[in-house]
Amino acid sequence: MATLNITYNGLSSDLPLELDGHVSDVDVRRIALEVVRSGGAPGLHIANLREDAFVHYVVDRFRGPRGEDRIYLRPKVPFGA
Amino acid sequence: MRILFCGVGAIGSTAAVLCRNLEATLVFIDFDRVESKNLLAQAFVKPSVGKNKAEALKLQLLNLHGVKAESFGVRVTRDNVAALCGNADLLVDCFDNQASRLLLSDFARTAGKPLVHGALAADGTFGLVRWDERFVPDAEDTAGQATCEGGAHLPLIGQLGATLARVVQDFVKHGTRRDAMVSLVAVTPTA
Repeated sequence: MATLNITYNGLSSDLPLELDGHVSDVDVRRIALEVVRSGGAPGLHIANLREDAFVHYVVDRFRGPRGEDRIYLRPKVPFGA
Repeated sequence: MRILFCGVGAIGSTAAVLCRNLEATLVFIDFDRVESKNLLAQAFVKPSVGKNKAEALKLQLLNLHGVKAESFGVRVTRDNVAALCGNADLLVDCFDNQASRLLLSDFARTAGKPLVHGALAADGTFGLVRWDERFVPDAEDTAGQATCEGGAHLPLIGQLGATLARVVQDFVKHGTRRDAMVSLVAVTPTA
């Protein structure tokens, strides 16, 4: 069991994800698009989300403190100053 | 302890001001100058307009808070990064471009220096605080993409600056290295 975190438009949502092997970044973006459109991401339901909403988003993958996979789909953060 | 803030624009200046209570020497590096438009999103005051940002922040900390700091009004390059950052105990990356972040990251990994990054999305809805071992600098979506210069994103900049300052303080006091995601509605620890 992995957790997919989606951050979009200032909102963030965690959802459990059953993964059968590795999923590519493209797959993560596709899954996120479907989940957000369908209302499967708690607090982040956008039925008319644009097809390219996550095209420039970054996929981060980490191991959680209990060994679980955590996948983050987030906007790029190029700026600081 | 010597803490170097690399880039003192929106995130760097905000976080640095919130680190003024630390028993540490704060050092600011930035080649840029304060412009009027910066006053809406960065921790600068009107008399600082026209001054170098690093120097201006040093003077503000001294004059407004009685805190001594150091400043270098230069651009960090491959030729001077070791001289500028070699005696730091902690590096705080608040640069606004991928190349400078990579340069600092390369130096930190080679020199074994702790480095934490603060980074902001272009639309001002999301920010990251992440330690270098888990950080890959992002490029702009498009070259010359507008940065968060105006005041529109000030609340998120404040949240991100405060989160970064807290992470710095926890490192100084306890040696912990926490990551966080910052959005308009929450600050979420991620490591």
